[in-house]
Amino acid sequence: MSMKINTHNRSAELFQRAAKVIPSGLYGHQGPAEGCCIPVSAFPLFSERAEGSYFWDVDGNRYIDYMCAYGPNVLGYNDPDVDRAVMEQMKIENCVTAPSTKIIEFAELMVDTVASADWAFFAKNGGDTTTAAIMTARAATHKKKIIFVKGYYHGVAPWCQKIDYPGVIPEDVANNLYVEWNDFEDLERIVAENEGEIAAFISTPYMHGNFLDNVLPAEGYWQKVRKLCTEKGIVLIVDDVRCGFRLDLAGSDHFYGIEADLICFCKALANGWNVSALCGKDWLKSSISGLTYTGSYWMSAVPFAAAIACIEKMKKIDLPKICLEKGLMLTDGLKAAAANNGFNLNVSGEPALFYLMLKDDDSLMLHQEWIAEVVKRGVYMTNHHNHFINASLSDEDIKFTIEVAEDAFKAVRKNHPELG
Amino acid sequence: MTDSRTLAYINLYAVLGSLENLCELAPEASSLLTNKKPISIGFEVKGGPSATITFKNGRCRMEQGCTKCDVKLPFSSCEKFNGLIDGTVTPIPSKGFHHIGFLLNSFTKLTDLLAKYMRPDPEDLKDPDFFRISTLLLLNTITVAIAQIGNNDEIGKFSAKNMVDGEISFSIKGAASTTIRVKDHRLLGIKKASDNPRAIMEFSSIELARDLFDGNVNAIACVGSGDIVMKGMISMLDNLNRILDRVALYLA
Repeated sequence: MSMKINTHNRSAELFQRAAKVIPSGLYGHQGPAEGCCIPVSAFPLFSERAEGSYFWDVDGNRYIDYMCAYGPNVLGYNDPDVDRAVMEQMKIENCVTAPSTKIIEFAELMVDTVASADWAFFAKNGGDTTTAAIMTARAATHKKKIIFVKGYYHGVAPWCQKIDYPGVIPEDVANNLYVEWNDFEDLERIVAENEGEIAAFISTPYMHGNFLDNVLPAEGYWQKVRKLCTEKGIVLIVDDVRCGFRLDLAGSDHFYGIEADLICFCKALANGWNVSALCGKDWLKSSISGLTYTGSYWMSAVPFAAAIACIEKMKKIDLPKICLEKGLMLTDGLKAAAANNGFNLNVSGEPALFYLMLKDDDSLMLHQEWIAEVVKRGVYMTNHHNHFINASLSDEDIKFTIEVAEDAFKAVRKNHPELG
Repeated sequence: MTDSRTLAYINLYAVLGSLENLCELAPEASSLLTNKKPISIGFEVKGGPSATITFKNGRCRMEQGCTKCDVKLPFSSCEKFNGLIDGTVTPIPSKGFHHIGFLLNSFTKLTDLLAKYMRPDPEDLKDPDFFRISTLLLLNTITVAIAQIGNNDEIGKFSAKNMVDGEISFSIKGAASTTIRVKDHRLLGIKKASDNPRAIMEFSSIELARDLFDGNVNAIACVGSGDIVMKGMISMLDNLNRILDRVALYLA
């Protein structure tokens, strides 16, 4: 029996309505442009409801969601344990002049959970914490330069954008230095050339950039980086916003065998409730204490309650093990589906955050076509970004996904008789 | 945040270079050249670009360098050459004084016509033929300007540095197509369609292209509505769009 092909007429109508009052209709990574919805007609643009591993769009189509809201959905949408904690806290208090003691409970839990953490500082988005980390490093070292890994993404504040981005001026990024991922000699060279001027080295645990195969750290890379930073007084910042908790509940720095000086968390922290955390070493506590850096909702108790429940559940179910096993089961199946149809699907990165790329042409157009066919059949993936496993994903979901992948490969092959 | 050297490259290769397209698209341009003896004008800008424009049989062609030309116009700086384009500098030939009549007559009329199409009166744009010629001229000018910015402007070079090798198809559906070729982070604007693009940016109509070129609509918003199709190596298009932002800065 042929698979149902989803259409998105209502999405398109609503997008036209949205475009009248919202810049770009939908801006940012969840919008059709930055979200690389190619073609736009293949993708749902608005959801109506969500549960577990699924969301339903405004046209009534169901999707198994491998983007997980770009990471936050780690236990499953509307997880009953997290949402129960939320509802209970909502009855008590949320955003109040004197914050709730939930902030202490949450900070204690973070310090107990994250191996490198002596303290925890809370905000709302991942970018709040990367900015806090950079300010803390500069406050502690009284140095200005920051080393980035080429292809990085650490948020959208001007300091972490690039010189050619709209709205960014050269002075915003004048103190940014760039090295190649996994190239320790390049890092050593940059450090030597800027001796005494570097405040921090900031990096994700592995290279999970967009539009390219993701690359894990080379053997011993992180250990050498850690040693160099210690010797030179450079603050080592691990941006664990995307990977955090899916690899290791003690932090991805712990997963790769080191301890960061500062580590940033957000996405998987509270299963979709809005909170982020910067954790750090004791020697940086007084520096962050001195920052003028705060926000209206940063100490709201409801997201704290959600995060506490989320972390406790992630520990209870051993989330990293689930993500690894499900990630491997899924990606092995996808690779086999590709091979069955004469395609070469490359899977890179960690299985919990797998990245897919068809290697049968170098323009990505074939890959984009395949992803579009997958989405039209009810499995939400993207063609440019890593994906995410969540704990509620069932074996049946994985089986269905692989069937969809097979059918999508067949559709692509049918559309391209020239491929043979 | 522009520099005069990059502007000189744009003014010569993209703006004066679009005389090629003007002669092809606008009958009143080619008629200015009919029954005229072939003539070539060389532009040599100290510290900047050089090129020769040859007018022959009602058409014109630009080539880099000016070792062989009938009339040579030297400019002591990029600023002086830019002054020619904005009308504040009168050039003095170093060679070919006896062709001064062509410079003062046909060439001036051609550049005036070019300005009419490139900086149109809104009333003129109501004429469909004028609208089409003006928009296609802009497409070609922008294509070449993108390459010049990617190769010369400091911020543009940063964008080009992040572009992989390959060709980008830059097109208006059913109307025209140009190509940006990237090789070793150097850009080349080509005024014809790509045979094998690695990335595609296609505008759904000439009207939409015009609105984009005039800054009335935003490319990102148009992707969502389906009025612009982008596919292939999106990272190439991301960087192209950043350079495109700077085109408006230089051509304003």
